[in-house]
Amino acid sequence: MTSSAIRPRARLAAAVVMLGSAAILLGACSTSSASSGESGSENSQISPLSPARHLGPQGQVGQFVTDCGYSHSAPDDPIVFPGQPGMSHEHDFFGNTSTNADSTTQSLLKADTTCQKQRDTAAYWAPQLRDHGEAVTPVKSVAYYRAAPGVDPKLVVPYPEGLHIIAGDMTATEPLSADLAGWACGVSSSHDATPPQCPDSAPLRAVMTFPDCWDGVNADSKNHKSHMANSSEGLCPSTHPVHVPQLTFAVAYPISGTGHDLTLASGSTYGIHADFINAWDQAGLANEIKLCVNRDVVCGLSSNRDEDPLFGPK
Amino acid sequence: MHKATFKLTFALLATMALLSTACGSDSESGSDSTSSGGDSAAAMTIAVPADQPTIQEAVDAAKPGTLILISPGVYNEDVDVTTDNLTLRGLDRNTVILDGQFKLENGIRVLEANGVVVENMTARNFTSNGFYWTGVEGYRGSYLTAYRNGDYGIYAFDAVNGQLDNSYGSGSPDAGFYIGECYPCNALIDNVVSEFNGLGYSGTNSGGDLFIVNSTFRNNRAGVVPNSGSYELCYPERDTTVVGNIVHDNNSVEAPAIEVALLAQGNGILLPGGVRNLIQRNLVFNHDRTGIGLVPYPEEDASDLAPDAAEWDTPCSETHDVEVPPIPAADCKAVDGLLKGCVVFWNPYENRILDNTISDSGAADLAVGTVDLLGLGVTTDLLRNCFSGNTFATSAPNDLQALAPCDAAGNGGSWDSGALDLLGLLGSPAAAPPEDTYKTTPEPGEQTNMPNAAKAPVTPAPTGPPKVDIEAIALPARPAGT
Repeated sequence: MTSSAIRPRARLAAAVVMLGSAAILLGACSTSSASSGESGSENSQISPLSPARHLGPQGQVGQFVTDCGYSHSAPDDPIVFPGQPGMSHEHDFFGNTSTNADSTTQSLLKADTTCQKQRDTAAYWAPQLRDHGEAVTPVKSVAYYRAAPGVDPKLVVPYPEGLHIIAGDMTATEPLSADLAGWACGVSSSHDATPPQCPDSAPLRAVMTFPDCWDGVNADSKNHKSHMANSSEGLCPSTHPVHVPQLTFAVAYPISGTGHDLTLASGSTYGIHADFINAWDQAGLANEIKLCVNRDVVCGLSSNRDEDPLFGPK
Repeated sequence: MHKATFKLTFALLATMALLSTACGSDSESGSDSTSSGGDSAAAMTIAVPADQPTIQEAVDAAKPGTLILISPGVYNEDVDVTTDNLTLRGLDRNTVILDGQFKLENGIRVLEANGVVVENMTARNFTSNGFYWTGVEGYRGSYLTAYRNGDYGIYAFDAVNGQLDNSYGSGSPDAGFYIGECYPCNALIDNVVSEFNGLGYSGTNSGGDLFIVNSTFRNNRAGVVPNSGSYELCYPERDTTVVGNIVHDNNSVEAPAIEVALLAQGNGILLPGGVRNLIQRNLVFNHDRTGIGLVPYPEEDASDLAPDAAEWDTPCSETHDVEVPPIPAADCKAVDGLLKGCVVFWNPYENRILDNTISDSGAADLAVGTVDLLGLGVTTDLLRNCFSGNTFATSAPNDLQALAPCDAAGNGGSWDSGALDLLGLLGSPAAAPPEDTYKTTPEPGEQTNMPNAAKAPVTPAPTGPPKVDIEAIALPARPAGT
């Protein structure tokens, strides 16, 4: 560590080694989280209900980010109510422009996208936000793909084509862990269980973190959840041994300041949740994961640079 | 206290480094083996499309040291480079064109590949960036044209030992040229033209042997705007040297713009929260607001407090991977009715503004100001910025060179007399243009080719700090017709 000529990956590895050595030399910490980072990919521990979440400014771990404009809204949910249009509460859809109750992976793969990355034809959706009962049209969504904290980024593989995942709990009537699903101002990693009052320069976002361990077999499951699990201290449970990217999905709303009365089409704002069907161009997804996540490179950021100016006219 | 934690972390890391030197070399082996040279492989040339039909296929077939020579044509591809020490060269800057058709993201994206040189070509119509290096040591972009790209024209992030020269960036809503998140950056921007962008130059949290020289920034919404903020790593922005540039008419209301550019609109050289920069012998004229302005960047909902001056010398490599705990609630303040959440004021400190010629500015040719909205006792007179040898007509506060000269004591005059109306300026940003404005910005004219592109030998990317004799760079003459 004598010069600045150390690449991020080496720095990360060095930091892990240093922390590990320090723990041994100091004899103070027995088995800290740092010691688990580079070890195997599975153990038998129980998967935590809430994901471990990246905190602080972006840029400390490899990631790629895909910005997707708002596409459309419909009372459809191709995961929970497939083939049953109108059965769901109202959802806002992002990314794939064709998503509806009848969507299949194959139909999605043929459709267009609102995402800045054109190869991201995945379907993303979240319940519609309402302000004093009126629908709020979202600005866009931002999807971050990263290795979950502590996970060796080299272990992360692409989602299988057609994987269905849900983040958060639409039925929640009490605060969930804000790590799982919560509300933030702008790109801040500080989350609340209910929407905070946000500045114009960092308006409201709903942020959901998807589980990052897959059972390796099923693209979906009866409750749409049990085929996925959260990693803990960098490890996936033996029941769900496959490390996939930790997808953190944010929906940006044009909501700041006071005077709002926010609810979701699904009910309480505690019940914020999001759904994802992997309908990426699979080669495009694999390329981003290989170049950015596996190699621990910050391929892109989401910032507040494009938010409303400070002190701007209201 | 949060800052104490910050320091303690440094101390701990330093101690650990000492204790674990044996492991240190271990962990570094294998990750950096190709950073110096690439001459181990015999030099190889791949012609596109003669040898490989696409640029990406040529890159994939290349080995470190390979020269990829690209023939004229429009290439609808986005190229990822992950091999060290490649040179990608167009045979003709104006007719070797990467075109993203507003569907592809980046023209050329260099990801943690060291020493990659890109020269003599054009990238246009990408939704993100024309040319992009990230996580690299050693990069050079020469004789490049980037226009109508959705974020930045030419963009280096978390990259060191670089050079961008003889290049042109226009029509980006963020910046035409950007070097960010590095300290020391060891980088040089030389003889470039940046116009019709949101910002001519932007660099968040960068500096340290970072030179911007002999270049022109005109007709952007704002000219040269390095800034600090905890929304990205390696804060604050410091030690950037801006010498011998022509900066004029950065008031465009037609250029594309992200919101930050609307806030910075109408300023020539603006340092929002910049620290210890040297701004010398630039020719700056025709700005609606300030010619050279030193202002705070108030960050709402900040991730961290601004580091003390004692921490400004800390290399980015030592803070990059340090976990940033949330700011303790006790240190968080909002400003009633103005600024929400955990507000951090990034103030401009210790900048030296020397020997510039500034004229025709709407608010002031030279300006420095802050507002102590957080009640921390930080006022403009305490920021230790200085001004000497400048030719100018107006300043805020009045008579700024007498008030805060660089080589003598100030005259003790009033800092309140003619002070910058910062709240007024911040409170009246320009109106936002339609989002797709970048797609219709003016086409660049014919740009100068690199000499002898077909035969010129490969010139490697820099391997350390640039050698710039700033004393040899004179104040530029005013261009004809301006």
